[in-house]
Amino acid sequence: MKKVRSMRRCLVFALACLMVSAPGLAAPLKPAPLRYPARFGALKFPQQFPAGTRLTITQWSHFVPRYDQWFDRYAQDWGQANNVKVTVNHINLADLSSSLSSAIAAGKGSTLYEMVAPPPAFIQGLQPLDDVNAAAQAAFGETNPVCAHSSYLPIKKMWYGFCHGWVPDPGDYRIAMWRKAGYPRGPATYDDLYRGGVKVYQAAGVPVGVGMSPEIDSEFFIRSLIWSFGGSIQDARDHVVFDSPQVIAAVEYMARLYKAAETPEVFTWNAASNNQGFVAGSLSYIQNSISFYRTAQEVSPEVAADTGFRPGLKGPGGKALQTAHVYAIYVMPKYVADGDEKQAAKKFMLDLVANYSNATYNSALYDFPAFARTVPQLTAKGGWLDDDPFGSKPADKLTVLRDAEAWTGWLGYPGYANPAVSQVYEQHLLSAMMAEVAQGKQTPRQAVKQTAAQIEKIFEKWRKAGYLGGG
Amino acid sequence: MNEEAGASGPPARAGLADDERRLGWLMLGPALLYIGGFVGVPFVLAVLLSFSDATVGDPHIHRLVGLVNYRRAIAQPQFWTALGNSLWITFLTLLALAVLATALSELLARPFRLKRLVQTLIILPWAMPVSLAAVAWLWLLDSTFSPLDWLFRRIHLLGPGGWFGPGLHFYYLGRTGLAIASIVTVNVWRMLPLATLIVLAGRMSIPRELFDQAQIDGAGFFRVLLRISIPALMPVLTVALLFAALMVFGDMATVALLTRGGPGTATQVLPYWAFLQGINGGDLSGGAAVALFMLPVLAGVAIAALRLAYRSQQS
Repeated sequence: MKKVRSMRRCLVFALACLMVSAPGLAAPLKPAPLRYPARFGALKFPQQFPAGTRLTITQWSHFVPRYDQWFDRYAQDWGQANNVKVTVNHINLADLSSSLSSAIAAGKGSTLYEMVAPPPAFIQGLQPLDDVNAAAQAAFGETNPVCAHSSYLPIKKMWYGFCHGWVPDPGDYRIAMWRKAGYPRGPATYDDLYRGGVKVYQAAGVPVGVGMSPEIDSEFFIRSLIWSFGGSIQDARDHVVFDSPQVIAAVEYMARLYKAAETPEVFTWNAASNNQGFVAGSLSYIQNSISFYRTAQEVSPEVAADTGFRPGLKGPGGKALQTAHVYAIYVMPKYVADGDEKQAAKKFMLDLVANYSNATYNSALYDFPAFARTVPQLTAKGGWLDDDPFGSKPADKLTVLRDAEAWTGWLGYPGYANPAVSQVYEQHLLSAMMAEVAQGKQTPRQAVKQTAAQIEKIFEKWRKAGYLGGG
Repeated sequence: MNEEAGASGPPARAGLADDERRLGWLMLGPALLYIGGFVGVPFVLAVLLSFSDATVGDPHIHRLVGLVNYRRAIAQPQFWTALGNSLWITFLTLLALAVLATALSELLARPFRLKRLVQTLIILPWAMPVSLAAVAWLWLLDSTFSPLDWLFRRIHLLGPGGWFGPGLHFYYLGRTGLAIASIVTVNVWRMLPLATLIVLAGRMSIPRELFDQAQIDGAGFFRVLLRISIPALMPVLTVALLFAALMVFGDMATVALLTRGGPGTATQVLPYWAFLQGINGGDLSGGAAVALFMLPVLAGVAIAALRLAYRSQQS
């Protein structure tokens, strides 16, 4: 009997050792069960809201369709649990700004809008969400820097949004093409991208797919390039520093890359074009989130198998920084006056974070949490990124995203997003500048000088209005 | 008899129908209300916004800042590019419309087989939902999947050994000239039914005897066209073109759907630049100022169109 007991103890000990030494086995590989706590830090909520409480949310149609299906179910479940009538409107991401703008002008609209890029230009029409952010930080730890720099305006000392998630924007390459070009693990630097991209283009006629079109992917790539070359639009104190040798070098690089390894299609793209081109096998490298890869896994498995991911490419000085692809930021316009509606909205945002492992899982690992602690399954050793539950081959294909936070910047980098930075982004000044140089209409120096002057004017206006620091 | 009846019965009361002045105002009322509400108020608001410091976050007019927004607008190189492009694209569209609407009206004025089918095809762009049309054009002009490119490759105009070089695509929206041509083509496609109908109405009102006389005198097609049709059509053609100019110069839909101002700034136009700055960029007052720069052109064209329409009605 003693022998049996001792054997059982040994077995339990061995199992425990195994679980400790192989965290993959011990990691909670499923999303946590849904929960709706009544308290987050200093914010307390009722178990049930008064009858008749309503909550309307307008947000984008997610690039991963299964997320919307989950979210709509979740919102209804949350509504039932909290006695709130929830309505969710999904709209095209390109219509978010104009929808929010119309709602603020009319003083009427949804309770919450989920923006996909920082919306500081709307700050005068938005309610401060300082309490929600403080409650989330108390309950879940520090906000990820990408999110914090995209929802807080230091000069007003105001959290104008609540950023619950963000999306990494890795480099994506066709493994077979780049292997033949001598880069079996894809490009690691911008120099590799040029040399390897030219080789692939000359050998297979397949161009590099980084755009110069007035759309988000091009704007994001251009910022990544400029940052990695050591330049930026503004410094940490909202001073314009665009006209610099680093930015000129980045523009020269882009023009060279276009002439040697791209075609005029890069001027014509919309947000979906480089994904489509990559999946169709007509582009060798793009910078994009993993949504296209998830689509490819379903419709074109051979392309998905031949897709590799790279972290931020290193510039001449070794710096690597890429933008986030999406910033999931809830804002509440000032016209929302009903106390119960406001409280319900705040609880909805905080509950979503509390249940973020479900959001990340149901976005097929597209949405990364603003509060890393809420989704330990994602980056744990042996977790979802190491062993993709959505069928990557090999299973650790997405491991490269584990340290994405280290190489991800935000729109106002190295400072905070502000109305001026947002306007520069929305008016597509950088993609236009790159395209003018690539087409030979301006020299890099002229184009940078002219764009810097335009940026200065925009900054000057917002600075006078009191929305920028420095001066 | 009437006098008798009038004398014997009670005096007839003058009703509303007899008061031309009041009746006129009453009948004009709905139109005035519509114009006041949907044109006048937004216009005044736009003017006030352009002199204010309003933003999308606070679209109310708290403070007037004079001409600051106008000065800032003209200091932007993209403003001048957009103004130039707006004028150039409008001119090219009108030129193409003038030729095509005249040609089509000449065609439709004559009897021929399948005339009804041709008429239907010409009207079709009007019947087509805008969203469907946009998808169709984007597909036709796609940089990678354009069926036009496929067709040109099949007939050896594109591709290795082709007339237009070894490239497999034209990149319609990626080259400055082709991008402008694409926008003009879509504009013409949208406007041609209206212009053709207006010009055709004018063409049908030219007395038949003039053409018979010319035929007896032995005049050929082009002589008849240049000496009879076009001079007679000129007033109505001008009205059609001026209306088209109003619609093209103030339109941002085609550019927003096709090129979003690219490549670079090659197809940026004033209305879209105003939208980007005012709505997406958050600078509502700046956007209003840019948009109001279109006013002199639009007002001038509108006045000319109305005068011509009035004159042709008089004659």
